[in-house]
Amino acid sequence: MAYQVSIFLENKTGHFERVTRVLRENHINIRSMTLTHTVSGWGIFNLLVNQPQKACEALQDNGFSATLRQVLAFGMDDHPGGLDETLVQLARAGVNFLNAYGRVLEDNKRALLIVDVEDYELALEQVTAVDLYPLADELVYGVTSKKIS
Amino acid sequence: MYWEKQLETLAHDELKKLQTERLKETLTYAARSPFYKQVFQQKGIRPELIKQPDDIRRLPYTTKQHLRENFPYGFLGAPKQELIRLHSSSGTTGNPTVIFHNRHDIASWANLMARSLYCAGVRDTDVFQNICGYGLFTGGLGFQYGIERLGCLSIPAGAGNSLRQIKLMQDYGTTVVHAIPSYLGRLYEIFQAEGLDPRKDTDLRLFVIGAEPHTEEQRQRIEEMFGVKAYNSFGLSEMNGPGVAFECTEQAGLHIWEDSYLVEILNPDTLEPVPDGEVGELVLTTLDRQAMPLIRYRTRDLTRIIPGTCACGRTHARLDRITGRSDDMFIIKGCNVFPMQIEGVLLKIPEVGADYLITLEQRNGADEMIVDVEVKKDWFNGDITRLDRLTRKITQQIRDEVLAKPIVRLVEPGSIPKSEGKAVRVKDNRTLNTVKL
Repeated sequence: MAYQVSIFLENKTGHFERVTRVLRENHINIRSMTLTHTVSGWGIFNLLVNQPQKACEALQDNGFSATLRQVLAFGMDDHPGGLDETLVQLARAGVNFLNAYGRVLEDNKRALLIVDVEDYELALEQVTAVDLYPLADELVYGVTSKKIS
Repeated sequence: MYWEKQLETLAHDELKKLQTERLKETLTYAARSPFYKQVFQQKGIRPELIKQPDDIRRLPYTTKQHLRENFPYGFLGAPKQELIRLHSSSGTTGNPTVIFHNRHDIASWANLMARSLYCAGVRDTDVFQNICGYGLFTGGLGFQYGIERLGCLSIPAGAGNSLRQIKLMQDYGTTVVHAIPSYLGRLYEIFQAEGLDPRKDTDLRLFVIGAEPHTEEQRQRIEEMFGVKAYNSFGLSEMNGPGVAFECTEQAGLHIWEDSYLVEILNPDTLEPVPDGEVGELVLTTLDRQAMPLIRYRTRDLTRIIPGTCACGRTHARLDRITGRSDDMFIIKGCNVFPMQIEGVLLKIPEVGADYLITLEQRNGADEMIVDVEVKKDWFNGDITRLDRLTRKITQQIRDEVLAKPIVRLVEPGSIPKSEGKAVRVKDNRTLNTVKL
């Protein structure tokens, strides 16, 4: 049950930085991020952080449209073909992505794939049906040094 | 030279006499409508009180609000079976403004349109392409009937589809075009993109432009681009539509047809008449409409009477270009838009706040209406497709309401000034002086 923090942002100079300033002031550590944007002049800033709840509240307190959004996170081997292996499984499961991004872990042996989907519950059913299990929160957020299997 | 020489060059006192007669007739028709019947009874108004056109000042005003409140038949001065057409404003919120016509009204309007076109130099040998929306909008059928009355070959092309417009021009040797000025810049770009030069590759010689404010410089650019003469047209749907006032070949102001409209220019605050040459609100009374006469209709358009006489010999007064509005209406892509209409649409969409900002600007030679709206914080869930769907939904609903397609921009909550006090709702960045070449 991992969460990313999603923030609605206008595509304007400096708006990005206003977000990271709030996170910095609240001692939030960013693990990974993406910016999805359209040509309509706005975008969504997605952040994987060590304390999603705290980050989200801090951003909301500072006037942002921020929300916690459930995402699926999978572990994969950090070697050529690693992502492909995971994607083959996800394709077999029938999961459709809205957005996806990754994170390499400290030891450079494992990596994370974070997948944002339109219907989280449906996607969860789909992946477990092919024996693919999302990772536990503490691994995703990087708050433990436990080995990721 | 003239379509109706006698009427168009009527001496001043003769014109006054005709106006007095027609004003009395108009009051007789008006008194048959539920709205005016009541007003006249309350104020003791009878046609016999009218001895001269200036006596109009004893009559009450009519506003758009009155028309809406008495929708649909409150202003009808003729039996319903006599009616042959209606034209109506856009709008899905509140009552539209609807005007009914009987056979006489349509014939009279067609004649005024023919007179207008003739005075701008259009002749029955012309091939006339009307690039204008047909349907409830008056620019389509209004022009159509005038073009036919004059005897040109008419091409009822409708709006949009620039490539087809160019093909029609080439296939049938179009000589005259009616369009809104902001469209013509766009059309010229399409000509260029196709490797065509309208000066060499068409038979165009004359344009009629209107339904949208534009400057003298903008007109001259259009004339240069297309190698034509461009004439200004003025009308409003409450006064039939096009054919109320029109430029003659002198291009020195728009002759307003005083045998059919009684003109007043009033100070919008005091409602006192202003002298010729001074800007005020245009207030019009129909003098030749039976089914739905309107008395002292406040157009909210600001303009002035150009003093002096016109070299063309017509005696009918000349209006200057419309310099603005005494309310907050604006015109985009030929459509009249009130900010309240946009507000009405947004209020019905729970995903967004009620604050909005309309920016009007020129992009790629065409006017665009950009509407900024705030997404509600508690509705946002990080799903980008949901936001895209919302954008499309707002775009569609505004389009349905005002007929012009907006560019909708979702913005962060709190970034639009709040509605308390006099918040600026419309920013007009259009430089009227520049048409993109």
